[in-house]
Amino acid sequence: MGWGSVLLEVTLMPLLAFATGLLLVLMMRRIRARLERRVGPPFFQPLYDILKLYGKRVQISHGFIHDLGIIMVVGGYITVEMYLPMPGMDGLAAHGDLITLAYLMMVPSLGMALGVGQCANPNGSIGISRALMAMLGYDIPFMLVIVAAATLYGTTSLPDIIAAQQGGGMATWGVVTMPVMAIAGLVTTHVMLAKEPFETYVAPAEIATGPMVEMGGKFMGGLFVVQAFQVYTAGALYTTLFLGGGTSWLEFLPKLCAVMFLPFAITVLFPRFKAGEGLLWVWKWPTAIALLGLALIYLRR
Amino acid sequence: MTPLDALLALSLVTLLLTLSCRHQVWCGVLTTLLYGVQLMALLFMSTSIHYGVPVPSGVHFNVLGFEMHWAMTPLAWFFALITLGAAVASSWYASTSWGRHYAATGGSPGLLQVALACNVVSMLLLLCSADLLGLFISWELVSWASFLLMASAGGAAVRHALHYLVYAVAGGMAVLAGIALVYVATGSLSFDAFVASLSGLSAGRLWLLLLLFGGGFAVKMGLLPLHLWQARAYADTPGPGSAFLGAISSRMGLFGILLVLVQLAGLARFAGLVLPLTPFTALDLLAWVAAFTIILPTFTALRQTDARRLLAWHGIGQGGYMLLGVVMGDALGSAGGLMHVFNHATYQAALFFSVSAVVYRTGTSDLDQLGGLVTRMPISFTAMLIGIIGLAGLPPMNGFVSKWLIYQSLIREGHPLLFIAAVIGTLGTILSVYKLIHNMFLGQLRVEHEHIREAPWSMTLPMILLSAVVFATGYLPGLVLRWIAPVQRELGLPVLDYTLGGYQSTAGSLDMIWVVTSMLGGFAIGAVLFYAGGRARRVHQLDNYAGGHFLDAATRYQYSYNFYPALTRLAAPLYRDSFQWLESALVSMLQLASAGAQGIYRSVHPSLYLLAAAVIAWLVWGGGH
Repeated sequence: MGWGSVLLEVTLMPLLAFATGLLLVLMMRRIRARLERRVGPPFFQPLYDILKLYGKRVQISHGFIHDLGIIMVVGGYITVEMYLPMPGMDGLAAHGDLITLAYLMMVPSLGMALGVGQCANPNGSIGISRALMAMLGYDIPFMLVIVAAATLYGTTSLPDIIAAQQGGGMATWGVVTMPVMAIAGLVTTHVMLAKEPFETYVAPAEIATGPMVEMGGKFMGGLFVVQAFQVYTAGALYTTLFLGGGTSWLEFLPKLCAVMFLPFAITVLFPRFKAGEGLLWVWKWPTAIALLGLALIYLRR
Repeated sequence: MTPLDALLALSLVTLLLTLSCRHQVWCGVLTTLLYGVQLMALLFMSTSIHYGVPVPSGVHFNVLGFEMHWAMTPLAWFFALITLGAAVASSWYASTSWGRHYAATGGSPGLLQVALACNVVSMLLLLCSADLLGLFISWELVSWASFLLMASAGGAAVRHALHYLVYAVAGGMAVLAGIALVYVATGSLSFDAFVASLSGLSAGRLWLLLLLFGGGFAVKMGLLPLHLWQARAYADTPGPGSAFLGAISSRMGLFGILLVLVQLAGLARFAGLVLPLTPFTALDLLAWVAAFTIILPTFTALRQTDARRLLAWHGIGQGGYMLLGVVMGDALGSAGGLMHVFNHATYQAALFFSVSAVVYRTGTSDLDQLGGLVTRMPISFTAMLIGIIGLAGLPPMNGFVSKWLIYQSLIREGHPLLFIAAVIGTLGTILSVYKLIHNMFLGQLRVEHEHIREAPWSMTLPMILLSAVVFATGYLPGLVLRWIAPVQRELGLPVLDYTLGGYQSTAGSLDMIWVVTSMLGGFAIGAVLFYAGGRARRVHQLDNYAGGHFLDAATRYQYSYNFYPALTRLAAPLYRDSFQWLESALVSMLQLASAGAQGIYRSVHPSLYLLAAAVIAWLVWGGGH
């Protein structure tokens, strides 16, 4: 692959991921609206929100680390997208595997934590404390999914994992070859999105939106950008591991929407867990399902 | 005189000079320079080491018929490099401003430098010993030198150092017993005789050998359940001393394990050693000991409220990764484990330096008494940031590369549960180090810290250099892996086919040059997007949302105490102080036995004791005939 095409791919991939993410955010908001018997926002609303926030006249910063935090969150997700293959583009996936991707996904969280830390607002710090505890929760089933996929496909290279599934048709998709793991993965995806019942670290009525308490203007705008990346990444990773990725966007996009539909829809039905309850639930259910899935994979080998 | 003789002589001269000029203000500067020269002498041997040719010493003794000699092998060279690097950094840090401050608060910087020099000499002797007698003597020297460094602060530190000493002496005796076992079997103390004796050993003897050597070395490494001494002893050592101890001292235990159990005995021998009544082998046992050493101390670190204790507990946990990688026995895992020794030394020293800088300025390392120092001590903050990213094992720092290699090895060798254990350790570390940096540098700046300045250059420069190494060896891990390949060859392990950026394979690759460059690129785009959004107004920390209340300088608006309450609550039932209980039970048992013995032969019934002893002696001797 020449330098030109590499440069083109690493530019296009974050852009496409962002656009798709906006679409998924729109879908999420429309689903919630329909379930609450509202019309929901117009098509471009997610984009308008970001533009509005970036264009605010009053922007408040608590210092350089506050700024750096937002830069790390956005920049971190831009990097993540370069390693997550999308139809027709592998980007830098040959230089960093699934494990690298999983750890790159933690960098934005660290950036967020740093930025919020400097705001010197206990609500924000409590939010980060809860967010990191939640990460300790969902990353265990998430890593079980990763080790299962790596064991099943015999590689941690994402393009190879996709090729293995696309070569043999639907029968070789992860969702067929490791159905129990697919369930654990879907639950984990929901937990990772930090929507009800797992939005302990936002908890508006309790800790004043937690990490977002001191965020306004372009700081909040940055977080809105990241939300688009986040939902895209969660959906795309699930599609890659369990649904064979996509040979074209016509195949990839419906799969993404299908994956994210369930978490988006059921989140509306729930109230919020208490911080410790959520952690315990995640260690109990998705982790147990994932362990069962892993055991099945090893038994079959 | 061989280059090794020159190095050892130079090390001894450093010790003697430090001893004679310890009261002079320039003592620290001189020793730093001398360590620098030693490091140069070591690098001078690198070509020979790279080709796997050991550098022998011209000096050898004959003690009671035992030949004692020394040689610098690739394994020894790798550990010596870290030792001398840590010595240069620690001595430099302690040399001027910190030393004066330490003297003003009643400490003796000269004694600290002498203790450091003792450590370096004894460690170099240990690393270069080429026979079991030299190994044991220098092992004991290392233990006592560590004790000297730990106890140099006086007060409570002495109590913790004595705690260490009890463990160290017990460990030393275990090693001695192991050596005696070898001697009985072969009548020689040479490494070759040791290797030759192993083939004829029964499984029971092999277990005994593993437990004696492994247990003895595990004490120094702080492997579970022999870890209780370490955190307190290291944390109470004065600043640069704790950095040195945390960086390399406990790794001497790993060196012992590598030398005796991996190189001489060979891991394959233990793979065939099955634990009675179970399907597990001795290697599985070691791997799980390593896994628990990762998890439990990491979560104990998470509960600490003192920055130095927190780091010291993480030091124990990180040792688990090294052992876990090595016992996998494949190219990836062992390279990861060995590389982690280097990586850990770099970021751990930087972290201890950063914490010591804060102690130097504020007088405390209590995580509930600090906050907001980033605006006052930005260099120390940056060093800590780079250090914690390394410690947590996230890209782009070097800690990620060694952990990646270990993760890959665990997956490929089919150990998913060990992989999850390693991941849990990493996650716990992320939580813990965020608490560390948040409670010290982020959040609200206290009124009494308003006028604090950054630590002086003599302290910040070593930090900056170490942080640069943490980043550079994360960017180009091939630089370190280049030193590890000859070590793997020497240990009889498969050699990692590394690249400058990491490792290439169809089963999963890592090229840190791409990863780090893309991260920097991503951050650059993030920065452009951020700064394109117009100018932000900087506000005072008290200009903050407080639910309608107004904040003033007297209001503490900081979240630091019990940082992860839900986790503490969930984990509380798991903390039953079982290891403390085990230790105190052992102590009580020994006390009871010694009191009983003393009671008999000292005062109560001396004649009865004599009679019993005579009867036993008669039975032993008389029964034989």
